[in-house]
Amino acid sequence: MITKKIQEYASSLLADQVVDCVIGYEVGPRRTTRPIFVDQQADTDRLVWNQNCSHNLTVYLRQKLNDTEGRIGIVVKPCDSKTINVLGAENRIDRDRLHIIGIECEGILEGNVKQNADSGELQRRCLACDLTEPLDMDYMIGGSIERKNLPDNSTSNKLSRWLEKATADDRLEYWLSEFDRCIRCYACRQACPLCDCPTCLFEREDSIWTGSSATTKDNRSFHLGRAFHLAGRCIGCGECQRACPMDINLGELNRVLAREMEEQFHHRAGYTVELSPITTILGEGR
Amino acid sequence: MDFISKKSLESWLASVAETKKLYAPVYTDGVLLYQQPNEIEDIVWDFSRPVQSAKEIIFPQSEKMLTIEKNGQNIQIIENLNNDISVIFGVRSCDARGCLVLDKLLVEAEPVDHYYKTRRENTALVGLACEEMGDTCFCTSVGGGPDNSEGLDVMLHRHQDGYLVEIVSSAGEELFNGIEFDRQDIAFNERRFEPEFVLPSQDLLKSSFDSEIWRSESERCLSCRICAYVCPTCRCFDVRDEPGASNNGTEIVERIRGWDSCSGEAYRRIAGGHNPREAKADRLRNRIYCKLHYTQEQSGMMACTGCGRCIDSCPVNIDITEIIGLILEGEPG
Amino acid sequence: MFEPKIIAFLCTWCSYTGADLAGTSRKSSPWNIRAIRTPCSGRVAPELIIKAFSEGADGVLVLGCHIGECHYDSGNHRTAKRIPLLSSLLTITGLEPERLRLDWVSASEGVRFSQIAQEFTETVRELGPCKWNAPDLFFATQPEIVEATETKVEVGS
Repeated sequence: MITKKIQEYASSLLADQVVDCVIGYEVGPRRTTRPIFVDQQADTDRLVWNQNCSHNLTVYLRQKLNDTEGRIGIVVKPCDSKTINVLGAENRIDRDRLHIIGIECEGILEGNVKQNADSGELQRRCLACDLTEPLDMDYMIGGSIERKNLPDNSTSNKLSRWLEKATADDRLEYWLSEFDRCIRCYACRQACPLCDCPTCLFEREDSIWTGSSATTKDNRSFHLGRAFHLAGRCIGCGECQRACPMDINLGELNRVLAREMEEQFHHRAGYTVELSPITTILGEGR
Repeated sequence: MDFISKKSLESWLASVAETKKLYAPVYTDGVLLYQQPNEIEDIVWDFSRPVQSAKEIIFPQSEKMLTIEKNGQNIQIIENLNNDISVIFGVRSCDARGCLVLDKLLVEAEPVDHYYKTRRENTALVGLACEEMGDTCFCTSVGGGPDNSEGLDVMLHRHQDGYLVEIVSSAGEELFNGIEFDRQDIAFNERRFEPEFVLPSQDLLKSSFDSEIWRSESERCLSCRICAYVCPTCRCFDVRDEPGASNNGTEIVERIRGWDSCSGEAYRRIAGGHNPREAKADRLRNRIYCKLHYTQEQSGMMACTGCGRCIDSCPVNIDITEIIGLILEGEPG
Repeated sequence: MFEPKIIAFLCTWCSYTGADLAGTSRKSSPWNIRAIRTPCSGRVAPELIIKAFSEGADGVLVLGCHIGECHYDSGNHRTAKRIPLLSSLLTITGLEPERLRLDWVSASEGVRFSQIAQEFTETVRELGPCKWNAPDLFFATQPEIVEATETKVEVGS
């Protein structure tokens, strides 16, 4: 039903020349859900909506806005709309050049979206999600569902709770074995809509921050540094972890920082068009 | 062929691990990789293929080439050549073909890659034939096959509760020297696999250079490097000199080479910031052409072994078989 | 007795001068402290602290001007926010939080500098050597870069 509405609306947007291109989801020949860029009315029937639409499409916005003159239509899940708020606050995108098509979302399924082998369970971020519709949009599709805060019995949550209680040595051992697998393909960085420095600090020719070799030590510096750069900005879309071919638990670093941001600064990234408090001066009472 | 039971193979593996570095498919935190197993029991026998190919061991992600030690006026350059004798167990046919491609480009062509050559010569490949094709595999379409023993030293074919041993090279013979086989001379029925699709001709590839498909297929590319890093034949690298912590007044600089990939944005950036392969479409085209066309022209070998890893690992489902299909569709006439 | 290696990032305007004052007024500070002079405590990027631990520091001390006294107006505001956040990130990845300390020392507080330096050194001494940079403690085999010394080439003399 939502699929049909997206197709019709995208078609009308392109027909009326409101936008140059619509970024949405399609199902590929291997039955895998993936991003698609539609710039012709004839192709709008390829657009779909299903519970495997895990990708955060806002990652393409910057490049697409640079490449075109006109406006861009984009299919946005409630959680993804937080990214647009952060990007807007940081003046990285021109909100006026976007046409946001908001989608009601019942949650995205867990499982390797790459291989389309979903387990039938909701993703962890969806269990704790409190949004039924995007925070900012130009057109809403659906919007009648009710959101329940579901119990989180995921293995990932159990792991987080174990980590919280674990001794320093156990934590160190756990993370060293995670970072040990990293092959420095930088998929986490590329898949992140907020990680878009022209040249990454960790990949500069003259970089003294961290070595380029894939040793456990350098990998750790890279991942901790990257997580820190996203403090107060990361909206928890989990794309970094989903993209990781080595299945490194990157989301945990972001969750820890998000929790600290909330406890220390009462800040939840992306809920308002606001900069990360870490980039501003101390406020009253602190 | 001679037959060996799984039990005997395991004790053989244990004896190999005593004298050599043994790498085998092992799960670490749910990820299957070629690693040194702590226990022989940790080795996984039934698997489709590890996330990384066997390339990871003979052409590692990062390798220390030189260490430069400077103590006052005294400068020493120490070359770090790896002389470990290794055996990789459980190599798939596609990975073995990958090694043959790497040999062609890094050893048989000038200049010879000294570091690769040393490792390669000291590493024996023991294969495990695939019993069936995986979902994304297409080795049969690029000239290989799930039980093809090309490039391996020994190939093991599943037979009842054990394996038939196909000795391929003299190095393989040496590995099994003095091993008592459980049964001998068992007839081996080679299975026939049909290609899944026909590859585009080299001429068609040439004429597809300016096709529209490069732009449309690359649009969703994230410019990460997964496809190249999991590929058994991608061999581009970057060399960097990195300062290490000084040790009692001795300054240390290490020359490190690490993998690089043409799908990364900065791969072709040159002085002054100009980038001749700036568009994602150009980068994707380069990668596909490198696999299907350039290497074929240069060395006579297809640089795609049909392992399908890039298809499985791509976060946005860029699919080389789909692109091949699109190239074929664009064929005139 | 275990002698910890401690890296201290000192703001040049306050804390570095404070450390100087500690010296000129004959207040003793432990030699374990290796001072690095920075233009402002706000310049101490989190990557530098991670780098210090990764290169083998047992503790990192960041000292800046008191809030309201920053030479650059608000540099230390950023430090005040970053360090606690970094501390929680390092804690969850296996570093004892006591190994990273942020404090404020003005140019006239030589005594305070000496006190903090001594306190911190003792805290880190009690914690013992930092395991952060010692993966060997956990992994018997390091799969990445393999040491193998072959040929030595002498250059120069």
